Amino acid sequence: MVRPGFVWAVPAAIFFGLFAIVPLVFVAILSFTSWNGLGTPHFNGVQNWVDLAHDPVMIQSLYLSVLLTFLGVAIQTPMSILLGVWAAGHQRNRAILSAIYFVPLLLSSAAIAVLWRGLLDPNFGIPGQYRWLFGNGNLFGSQRSAIAVLVFVGAWQFTPFHTLIYQGGARSIPPVLYQAAQVDGAGTVRTFFSITLPQLRNSMITSVILMIVGGLTAFDTVLILTAGGPGTSTTISAYYMYQKAFQSFSFGTASAIGLVLALVATAISLVVVRATGYDKMRSTQEGL
Amino acid sequence: MKKRSAWFTRAIAGAVVVATGVALSGCSSGSSSDRPANVIHVAIYGDSGNKVEQQIADTFNKTSTVKVILDKIPGANYQQKLQTIISTSSAPDVFFNWGGGSIEQFVNAGYLLPLTNFIKEDPKLKSSFLPSVFNSAAINGQPYGVPMRGTQPVMLFNNKAVLAKYGITPPATWKELLSDVKTLKAAGLTPIALGGADYWPTLMWFEYVYDRVAGPTLFDKALAGDKSQWTSKASMTALSDIKALIDAGAFGTNYDSVKFTDGGSPKLLRTGKAAFELMGSWNYSTQQSADPSFAAKGLGYTAFPSIPGGAGNQTDLAGNTNNFYSVIKNTRYPNTARDFLKLMYSPEFVKAQLAIGNLPTTTNTEQYLSTSASPTYSTFQYNLVKQASSFQLSWDQAYPQTAATAMHNAVENFFTGRIDAAGFASAMQALLTK
Amino acid sequence: MKARPNYLAGLGAFIWLIIVAVPLYVMLQATFETQVGYGKSGALGFPSTFTLDNYINAFTVGFGHYFVNTLIVTVSVVLIVVVLVLPLSYAVVRNLGRRTTFVFRLFLLGLAIPAQAVIVPIFYLISLAGLYDKLIGIILPTAAFALPICTLILSGSMRDISPELYDAMAMDGATSTRTFFRLVVPLSKGGISTIVVFSALQAWNGFLFPLILTQSDSNRVITLGLFNFQTQYGINIPGLLAAVVMSMIPVLLVYLFARRALVQGLMGMGGK
Repeated sequence: MVRPGFVWAVPAAIFFGLFAIVPLVFVAILSFTSWNGLGTPHFNGVQNWVDLAHDPVMIQSLYLSVLLTFLGVAIQTPMSILLGVWAAGHQRNRAILSAIYFVPLLLSSAAIAVLWRGLLDPNFGIPGQYRWLFGNGNLFGSQRSAIAVLVFVGAWQFTPFHTLIYQGGARSIPPVLYQAAQVDGAGTVRTFFSITLPQLRNSMITSVILMIVGGLTAFDTVLILTAGGPGTSTTISAYYMYQKAFQSFSFGTASAIGLVLALVATAISLVVVRATGYDKMRSTQEGL
Repeated sequence: MKKRSAWFTRAIAGAVVVATGVALSGCSSGSSSDRPANVIHVAIYGDSGNKVEQQIADTFNKTSTVKVILDKIPGANYQQKLQTIISTSSAPDVFFNWGGGSIEQFVNAGYLLPLTNFIKEDPKLKSSFLPSVFNSAAINGQPYGVPMRGTQPVMLFNNKAVLAKYGITPPATWKELLSDVKTLKAAGLTPIALGGADYWPTLMWFEYVYDRVAGPTLFDKALAGDKSQWTSKASMTALSDIKALIDAGAFGTNYDSVKFTDGGSPKLLRTGKAAFELMGSWNYSTQQSADPSFAAKGLGYTAFPSIPGGAGNQTDLAGNTNNFYSVIKNTRYPNTARDFLKLMYSPEFVKAQLAIGNLPTTTNTEQYLSTSASPTYSTFQYNLVKQASSFQLSWDQAYPQTAATAMHNAVENFFTGRIDAAGFASAMQALLTK
Repeated sequence: MKARPNYLAGLGAFIWLIIVAVPLYVMLQATFETQVGYGKSGALGFPSTFTLDNYINAFTVGFGHYFVNTLIVTVSVVLIVVVLVLPLSYAVVRNLGRRTTFVFRLFLLGLAIPAQAVIVPIFYLISLAGLYDKLIGIILPTAAFALPICTLILSGSMRDISPELYDAMAMDGATSTRTFFRLVVPLSKGGISTIVVFSALQAWNGFLFPLILTQSDSNRVITLGLFNFQTQYGINIPGLLAAVVMSMIPVLLVYLFARRALVQGLMGMGGK
């Protein structure tokens, strides 16, 4: 039997190595330098890391990244499960409605963030017209409401995707289990919790991993919706890194933040890969 | 099998090391022959003033084989984009800047072309402009920029109709400003429109209050390295005055998410939702682009109020002395750049700037004032600048570019109450002056 | 399937329909209003004025050539991804050697690397190579970051090809190359269409790389065009939303005509 040699894997490996692995090495190296974009980087030891450890904005950014991710998981998971199970049914109207639900998935993060920024504009958008519901109309003016907006837009954008995951999972639940439940006289709710949910376990794992890694890197949305504001109250780590690099021109510090992001994302993925077997692993689609 | 895999691992390690070495050994922005042929790129700040810049470029292109291409970069991103591209092969040949700190680090990194030779070939490149303005773009005694717009003192604009409605006259003193604010707030308006999300409009309030209370020397000394200026009594008085204005509700609650650069705060002023806006003189052309009849008839303007008991003069100004075109060393067509710069003192240029309400800083401006879009406005500006006892360059342009983000954060945090006067002082002290 | 309807899920579905459809409706109707009209009429009503100016304005601002640029980027990325991932997946599925396994593990590691984390060195490398502010500078990193997940998808799909078929090819004396073109590629059509869909969507909607690696208007893609429009004309809400709608139209058209392929493609990722 003639099997393909290693040479078949080489082109992709080189290409990927050049654009992903080499930069990863660089991020590590650059994090020990100081560079402002002009001239060349020069080494400054662990100065960047020391500064970061004492930087309140950095520490807050880590907290915010975790908070937003957690809220995203908490809100999107129940919704996606419900919708996915519902959409797995074969009634015709479900297909039509599913078609509508699918639309946010097709849009870029940029388009969605621009859309919501326009709709929710403090002075010229909708909240100003319905003050009885939205208070003074400025949803971007306080940390609490800005975070709420970010979580909402994230859910609006990604629930369809996770719904798809659960829909696929629900479709593959053997009907015989449901028939058995009916025979036992189980109600809808009981069936849901005792049969549907446990069968969706693998989908849940996939979905949650994706949400976590994606939540850590939801840069586009933060940039366009809140620009990390008000002040620094929605500055997540990915956004702080962008600020440090391309606004303060402090590439060394930015690289350190980038390295932290990469390490955390890798660690999470590795942990879950170990727990579930590697062919369940799909990731970073949300981050890009 | 073992030999092969050892070779493989070593090959990968070697490749990484080589790539690292190559990249870290430095990159230059490429020799001038890497640059595109028969064009020079001129990067400009994207706003309502671009029509004049385009007009000048079109005039130039009629008679030049090497064409000028204008690259408009949206104002909110301008400085960042410029710094990102200046060291790459996409660096513009000529670019818009504010002189002073905005080009100092480029000069120090060796990217800019001193204009001494151009001036030798055409002395009018220097002599046509007001010396105080021209020298704002001189670093270490060498000229690096040619003025290319108008002078931009910051003044207090108002909506005449709103003031008339509430029986208010433009405030001449700080106290009057506070009482005007009270009246307007009671009427349900946002007294003063502020594009806080851009940060530099907020900075303007600091520039003026500090000047009126402490005189221009406080900032000059602080910039020169005397950090104790920020904790001085005058500094604390200025900060408490600003706080009083904020606490009176002068700026409303939305300013954090309103910008000037996307038209937000000008619209508030124009539609009568706010009565005042402290802004640079380019505000005229901004309003004119959106609504020419408002600019011509409904827009009022006065100098910043005085603060009695302060060390500053009523005639002190803050703002930008002008904007400048600088040239990079690597440009492929220095002669084209020089000829393009010559247009900056041509009569066509002066008239075009006046037509959008800008006041060029050429020595012959006064002759053309009557041709401007609003002779009243231009004469007002002209007198303001002529009588100015001092002209403070915007703080975030006077300091090196690297200090800008921290300064903006300090200013915004003070306004929103996240830091107090002492916190502001220490944030300013922490700014790098080099 | 269950005979009794699931009321809770049905309610959830209805609420979600409101949440999705209403903003889309508001957006659509706003694009036909003038700025003044938008300020006056309620968000939920019909447009009080009617104008196509917003769409015309979007073209004037540049969305015509943004569309062309985005198309170039998308097609190039898809081509690169397919050309690289097909042989790689073939190797991963059929080659049992240590080096191939090592490469596969490398790609799995790559799945976890967010593009944001390494954007600074990528920027540095791209400008070093003189590729800054060129479409190719966006195409290469975008393709590279789509590789891991496409490899996973395609290799997953290739595993379904039964070993007997390989045996049959071997008995005919086929080389690995021949097996690849005659057996593997034709039987992987499902996986290939999935990765085409996936990488195309990534490229079309990509924002980070264009943001950092391009600058001039002539090399701008749609997502960046939207961001710039908001930065400069943000208060022109109808104009802004018209630009958003225009950015959606090509993808929606593909969705209308190729819905099954699109959905199957995306579900293929999660349903396994």
